[in-house]
Amino acid sequence: MSDVPVEEVPEQEVTNLVVKAEGVHKRFGRLEVLQGIDLEVREREVMCIIGPSGSGKSTFLRCINHLEKIDAGRLWVNGHLMGYRQHGNKIYELREKEVAAQRREIGMVFQRFNLFPHMTALQNVMEAPCRVKREPRGKVAERARALLDQVGLGDKMNGYPGQLSGGQQQRVAIARALAMQPKLMLFDEPTSALDPELVGDVLSVMKNLALGGMTMVVVTHEMGFAREVGDSLVFMDGGVILESGNPREVLADPQHPRTQDFLSKVL
Amino acid sequence: MTVKEDDVASPGRPEKIKAVPVRHYGRWVAVVVIAYIAVWAIWSVAHNKRFHWDVIWFYIRNDSVINAIGTTLELTFIAMLMGVVGGVLLAIMRLSPNPVISGVAWLYIWVFRGTPVLVQILLWGFISALVPRLSFGIPFGPSFFHFSANTVITPLVAGCLGLGLNEAAYMSEIVRAGILSVDPGQEEASHALGMGRTLTMRRIILPQAMRVIIPPTGNEVISMLKTSSLVSAIAVSDLLYTVQIIYGRTYQTIPLLLVASFYYLVLTSILTIGQFFLERYFGRGLAQRKTMLERLWFNLRGGFR
Repeated sequence: MSDVPVEEVPEQEVTNLVVKAEGVHKRFGRLEVLQGIDLEVREREVMCIIGPSGSGKSTFLRCINHLEKIDAGRLWVNGHLMGYRQHGNKIYELREKEVAAQRREIGMVFQRFNLFPHMTALQNVMEAPCRVKREPRGKVAERARALLDQVGLGDKMNGYPGQLSGGQQQRVAIARALAMQPKLMLFDEPTSALDPELVGDVLSVMKNLALGGMTMVVVTHEMGFAREVGDSLVFMDGGVILESGNPREVLADPQHPRTQDFLSKVL
Repeated sequence: MTVKEDDVASPGRPEKIKAVPVRHYGRWVAVVVIAYIAVWAIWSVAHNKRFHWDVIWFYIRNDSVINAIGTTLELTFIAMLMGVVGGVLLAIMRLSPNPVISGVAWLYIWVFRGTPVLVQILLWGFISALVPRLSFGIPFGPSFFHFSANTVITPLVAGCLGLGLNEAAYMSEIVRAGILSVDPGQEEASHALGMGRTLTMRRIILPQAMRVIIPPTGNEVISMLKTSSLVSAIAVSDLLYTVQIIYGRTYQTIPLLLVASFYYLVLTSILTIGQFFLERYFGRGLAQRKTMLERLWFNLRGGFR
């Protein structure tokens, strides 16, 4: 990848926290996947989460938009407690509709794309704004076309996902998430299912998004992307954060022995 | 770059293989044996006076028989409509996170799939013995209006209820299998976009489940057309009951049963062709498993070399 200078985040915009996690725990049966995650993501920040498989990094990402319920701790997005409401000491589960409303602010991109195969690229992008936000079709169509142009698929709008390559599908998936005009974008290993040749297209779309000021949390194995685009890097293993900091510093000079071991194998 | 198939002369490319195909002598022997048996069968049927071809020909054009086809089709259509609508509802109820709702659906399927459809049809036919008066109102409270069960539940209605409610139990399992066949990632992607459960089901899951639901539903339609003949037990004048009435009068049992068989066969053949096109439409773009008609066509064209 080319060495584009990383945009410095201006100091006055740093005040707003988009994600704040305090002691987040999650267990599947007897397996404790997350054992106390504390982190903060500021506005316009690009945070990359790395770590071996099974370290809980994808689970944590899915906790952020409440696809997984957390068992202990607190998790706020845009100042809202995700999935719950707190009154005094009591905590109440939110209704399905309220959770759905919280998720509208958060875009998510999956490893396996998960495009709707019975809809064209354009319909995929238009579905949620039309059905969930009930915006006028004409306005949505205009925005959807612009987004597909932006990810370089202006000529594939009427193609079905089955007719697109993996890289093209993932870029449609990014456009689909952006169509809801989210304040936060979550990426769950967005390039892991792609042919090596197609990874670059997706990463460059993500880089442009980051340069445009989008707040992003990216679970990835692309160390080049983390180094070049990331503002912060988190290394997870065994359900805890072992090390975090500036990606260039952590990747060049890891402090924790587990991080050193992991990076020596992947770099 | 494209290379023409017959372009033998192109330099460096070896000559195209012109092999003698494997001869399937067994197939030719089978053809001779089966043709011999078929000729014998046709000859003996045509010369057996007890088939009464004249009687068959007469009743094939009989008005009451033709009308009875309409009743059979009506029964099939209404029962399948009840089955599909009820089946989708039951399947969604079965998959509901609410344990009461999924339990009710389970109970319904348990009862209606666990008892013979003929018994259910008879029970609906004799419902007036169980509930002589149907009233609409608040249970244990006042009733607003009421009917005699015999005037509301005519034999035709009883037949539709018996067939349709039973079919709903079977269709619900087909629909449930279809819903479960959709990749769970689809639901996640839809939820991540802020779509609720109802919207996700209607816009994302069900349209994809259709691909799995349609072929067995075609089978159910064909099966229903034949199963509808059970309503003859409660005197609905469908195809079977009508020929039973006629042969009860004329004692020409076999010819009239053959008339009914002929029409059932014609109707199921038409439905089979319809199913062939539906399956091809919904299976497009997938690894194609050949349908029976496609296999037949393939064998006729290329099987004998």
